[in-house]
This record gives sequence, C-alpha cells and structure tokens, in this order.
Amino acid sequence: MAGRASIPARNSALIAMIADEDTVVGFLMAGVGNVDIRRKTNYLIVNSKTTVRQIEDAFKEFSSRDDIAIILISQYVANMIRFLVDSYNKPVPAILEIPSKDHPYDPAHDSVLSRVKYLFSAESVSQR
Amino acid sequence: MAGAEEIEICEGGEESIEAEAKTERGDEKVLLQFLDSLDGYLTLMDSLNSKLREGWFDLASARHSMGTLRINTTLLDLKDHSASSTLQVTDQEVESLGSVHCFALSKWASKGGSGKGKDFSTVADSEMGSPRSPQLRHRGVSGEKPSDKGETTVLAADEEIKKERAKSLSVFGGLVSPKLRGAQLSFETALETLVEIANTRSSMLTAFERISKK
Repeated sequence: MAGRASIPARNSALIAMIADEDTVVGFLMAGVGNVDIRRKTNYLIVNSKTTVRQIEDAFKEFSSRDDIAIILISQYVANMIRFLVDSYNKPVPAILEIPSKDHPYDPAHDSVLSRVKYLFSAESVSQR
Repeated sequence: MAGAEEIEICEGGEESIEAEAKTERGDEKVLLQFLDSLDGYLTLMDSLNSKLREGWFDLASARHSMGTLRINTTLLDLKDHSASSTLQVTDQEVESLGSVHCFALSKWASKGGSGKGKDFSTVADSEMGSPRSPQLRHRGVSGEKPSDKGETTVLAADEEIKKERAKSLSVFGGLVSPKLRGAQLSFETALETLVEIANTRSSMLTAFERISKK
C-alpha cells in the first residue's frame, strides 16, 4: 500500500495494559505480565493517585516499544489523554480501548470509530 | 474504412465500461468488507464487555472469600520474568484489501529448565487464513508426531498449561478460591476476544484507508 511502512513480523510480542487494578490483575492472571531485568513492567495500574502525566508517559513508552503489539487501555483512562490517543495512528502496537468496572464502553469515544465515523456523516455523503 | 473505425471506437468504449464496472465492483467489495469489520468490531466489544464483567465479578467474589489482603497489587511478582501469553504479528494478504496485520495469541508458554520457552506451536484454530480469527496457538507437542501418540501429547500439553495457570495464581498463595480460578478463565477468554478485536480493527482500518483514497 502506498505510503504505508511495512511492519516486521514480531514473535513473542507483549500486551501492555494501562487500566484499573482489577482489570490489570485479571489479565496478569491470564499470563500477560512481563517484568524485564530493569524491573520495567508492561502495565500501569491506574488509581486515584495516578497523575495524567504518569499515564501519558506510560502510553508514550508503550507505544514506542518494539516488543509490544497491543496496548489495552481502559476507555476512561484514554479519555484523560484523548488527544494523545486520537493522534496515534500507527497500526502496531494496536490501541484497544476497553471498558472498566465503573465506566462502560462508549463507542462514541472510541478513537478507531471516531476515525471512521466521518464516512457516515452528512458532509461526507453530500460530497459523493 | 469509416465503418472499421466506428467498430474500433465502440469496442474501446465497451472495454472501458467493463473496466469501470470491474472497479466499481471492487470498490463495493471493499466497502462491504469495511462494514462487515465494523459490525464485527462492535459485536466483539459487546462480547468482551460480558467476559470482563464475569471476570470482575469472580475476582470480587474471590476477594470476598479470601480477603482483600490476599488479592491485591502489592503481591504482584516484580522479579524479572517473561510473559506466558504472547502475540505473533504477521502480514497477511487478504483479497481486495491487500496486506493486513494479523495478530495470533500464544497462551501459556512453558519456560523449561534452560530458561527458553518450549516451542510446541500447534495451530488449534481451523480458520488460519482469516484475519478475524484469533489464531490461537495452544502449547502442545508438534503436529508431526504419529496419530497414535496424539492423545499422550495432548495430555502432556494440558498438564503444562495447568502448571502454568497454577504458577500464575501462586502469587496469591498456595490455596486459592475456585472463584479466582474462574476469574482467570474469564480473563483468558477476554484475551482471546481482544486478539480477535485487534484483527478486526486491523482489517477495518485497512479497508477504511482504501475507501478514503478513492
């Protein structure tokens, strides 16, 4: 595809998580947790004490790592850094917004659906 | 002579009309694939929501029976260790969409004594070629073994998976609530759904790019 960088095949790529405690603990039980020699984890647990800056830094770090293929982010956390999430347009790692216990999934805020919704808007229809 | 030229012009016109019709059919196919992917994405998100709810509920039940101190993030293992469930990312050729990124989940890798993962990769999912399939790979002995040893190898693989699951829960103590095991299974299923979502997202965005360029 013109203008599209080819992504090298990745084996044993990780799933990163930026989510609330229960979601992270749950997925860690499913075996996705990784801690490297420098004690860097592939997850950030977001609670009331977590700052927006910490979330931004974690997102930037995970999205620039070569060993991460998917980033799971609770949608309410993604809303805190919406500008950053919406401006991300690389195919890998894929950013998946997931619901949390107290915040159900809202398709209207999903960055992927926001990107494609213009196809269904009145303006785009009138241009065809 | 004028008649021959007229025939040539007509044939040329017919060819261009055919080519246009073919292009239109191709465009419609891409549009249909996009709409299918979009529908699949929303359906899978709904399914994910249900699975996560089950997991959260079981986790809350486990916390209630085992106590809050036994299930919290302070117990998480911060010593260096590799993930047991990982992904493989490849490029797949999909008709009319071209190259699409495909994610495949590999669950419960066995570490082995040497510290290297035992590579038992066997594709369990029959929908290998579909970009929407999670392409789940269960760790078991390679499919090249003779069929009469098949049962033994499947049992061995199941034992390995059970060990890995138990190891994952061991941070919460030796004896854990059945609800915690239930939560683990729910989150495993949620993980499979997430990989399907990633594949659907990939094909949706690829189709969207094709449509946007037109």
